[in-house]
Amino acid sequence: MKKLITTVASLGLLVGVASADVASDQKDFINHYKSILPNVEFADYTNGVYAVDQGSRDQFEEILDGIPPYEGAVEKGAKEYLKFGLNKCTSLKDPAEARVKHPYFDEATQQVVTLESAIKKCYQQQTGKKLGYKKGRIARISAWISDQAAGQKINVKVESAGAKAAYEKGKTFFYAKRGQLNMSCADCHVYNAGKKVRADILSPALGHTTHVPMYRAKWASIGTLHRRYGGCMKNMRSKPLKAQTEALRNLEFFHQAMSNGLEITADRYRK
Amino acid sequence: MKKVLLTTLTLFALTAQANSLDSSHNWNDGSSNAFKFAIKAAETGYKANLAVDMAWRDTGKMIKKAKKLHKAGKNAAAIALANKAHRQTVNATAQTALARTVRPRL
Repeated sequence: MKKLITTVASLGLLVGVASADVASDQKDFINHYKSILPNVEFADYTNGVYAVDQGSRDQFEEILDGIPPYEGAVEKGAKEYLKFGLNKCTSLKDPAEARVKHPYFDEATQQVVTLESAIKKCYQQQTGKKLGYKKGRIARISAWISDQAAGQKINVKVESAGAKAAYEKGKTFFYAKRGQLNMSCADCHVYNAGKKVRADILSPALGHTTHVPMYRAKWASIGTLHRRYGGCMKNMRSKPLKAQTEALRNLEFFHQAMSNGLEITADRYRK
Repeated sequence: MKKVLLTTLTLFALTAQANSLDSSHNWNDGSSNAFKFAIKAAETGYKANLAVDMAWRDTGKMIKKAKKLHKAGKNAAAIALANKAHRQTVNATAQTALARTVRPRL
């Protein structure tokens, strides 16, 4: 009995510590943005750089007022979701729930499962064919699934010891300097968010994951979060990791957790 | 006689010393051995950086280009590029060590 109580108490403590760490990390994160961008409301971080710069926001709103360039692709994603039988997979049966649930830590495999990895797995089960991870069909389907959860809040749970370890790895990746330019994700998107790099304004990391997959004018198409990670790494002159590798899934786990409480949005246009 | 003996001994000592040097010794004279030494160092470092996901973007390309230059007989340029690639791997290794202990500055 004593053993049982000790085990339960230890487990409870572990869970408590894990959750508390995420909450306190996010509190520090938000407080930092409050200090550097005092005029931006928490909920507005879903709009990324458009929450920071009025000129960019005006352009963004003009684009949204018309027909956003990604609308056709998202509609195609809806058709593809049904055509390839993705509604038959338990993990994607309820698209809105799928978006809110991912990424999550799978205790059986001790790995982070992202929405795109679930889509790919289901697609392969249903069609027997391969699917990329960065753009095209997977991005369109993922965008449509995300649209179904628009207005719901991001709620990444980091509860078990395994989840906590994955979260910590993601956090270390986020803050570690890499590449020839010796810069971390945080150097741009935390410490210098809102400042300019040549003609571009650095977006805050808070809220980054609320509008993924995103349509980028630079790409002229929709791309997944991992495509963007690869682009960022390349810009820092670091060898980009392949999409959906363990390191990038852990990064997404941490990155999404920092946006807990922010609304998922269907306004996925970015420069 | 004394002179002959001294010259012979000196020559013998010099030859023995030269033979005892490792074949991969870097004479930095643009020879094939110097290139092998430089490219091996770069490749070993790059492999280690890749294993920990901390490789730099252009190191692999530099190694490939250095090999091409060597093949084309441009040894001096090949060695310079291989050494440059090696320096990148050394810096990436230092970065890796720092990355392990990094904490947020919030």
